[in-house]
Amino acid sequence: MKIHTSLLDSKKKKISLKKAKNFIYSKSNGAESIFVGRVRNNNKGKKVKAVTYAAHKRLVMKSFTKICNEAKKKFDKKAKIFLEHATNYVPVGGISIIIAVGSGHRDEAYKISKYILEKVKHRSPIWKKEHYVKGEFKWLSGHSLRGKKR
Amino acid sequence: MIIQLKLYGSSELLSTKGVLSFNLPKNSKIKNLRSSLMNLIVKKKLKNNLGSLPEAAAFSNMKDEIVSDNYRLKNKELLSIIPPIAGG
Repeated sequence: MKIHTSLLDSKKKKISLKKAKNFIYSKSNGAESIFVGRVRNNNKGKKVKAVTYAAHKRLVMKSFTKICNEAKKKFDKKAKIFLEHATNYVPVGGISIIIAVGSGHRDEAYKISKYILEKVKHRSPIWKKEHYVKGEFKWLSGHSLRGKKR
Repeated sequence: MIIQLKLYGSSELLSTKGVLSFNLPKNSKIKNLRSSLMNLIVKKKLKNNLGSLPEAAAFSNMKDEIVSDNYRLKNKELLSIIPPIAGG
């Protein structure tokens, strides 16, 4: 198996860097790229304490598989890809997403990682609710999927 | 006819139950659902937060397909609203 994708409920399980590293390891790969997205403590001048991630699970899983397969086809058919995204409440500093790629060469590893991140942001139905230090919250606006083919 | 709409993201501000029911005329399309959604947003005085949602949202059916504005709704159909996304 060369692709692993998952949505993890942060209340039940944490995204594991170790698991990602183990998954992509191969003696035939000369490059590993690991991208880690974390919840930061500020956004547009507001102090953030956490983000709740909500997802349409079936659509997200469908999009993750499709995006990873596209990336392999486009850059390296032999690449190993690990993609996990958190759902539910993630405090500042917590991991929201990991994209780990094992590939023959560095260029392909970087390109696959970037391709997946950009496509997830534009195609996977995941939403962010930011919780602020002062107690209020806001659903963040993003990319519309209206009229887009999945 | 009755259409049920499963709420995601910002649309959850419309109901704590996670699902909305709309009573629409027979043969309604997604564009009719958008209008009814806007009426509800105005009625609930959420235009400041959700005023752009009816136009910006996509809708998916039970087969997990994003449907077009000309998609003809069926009685008792369950759709999901897909507000603009912001993952990663």
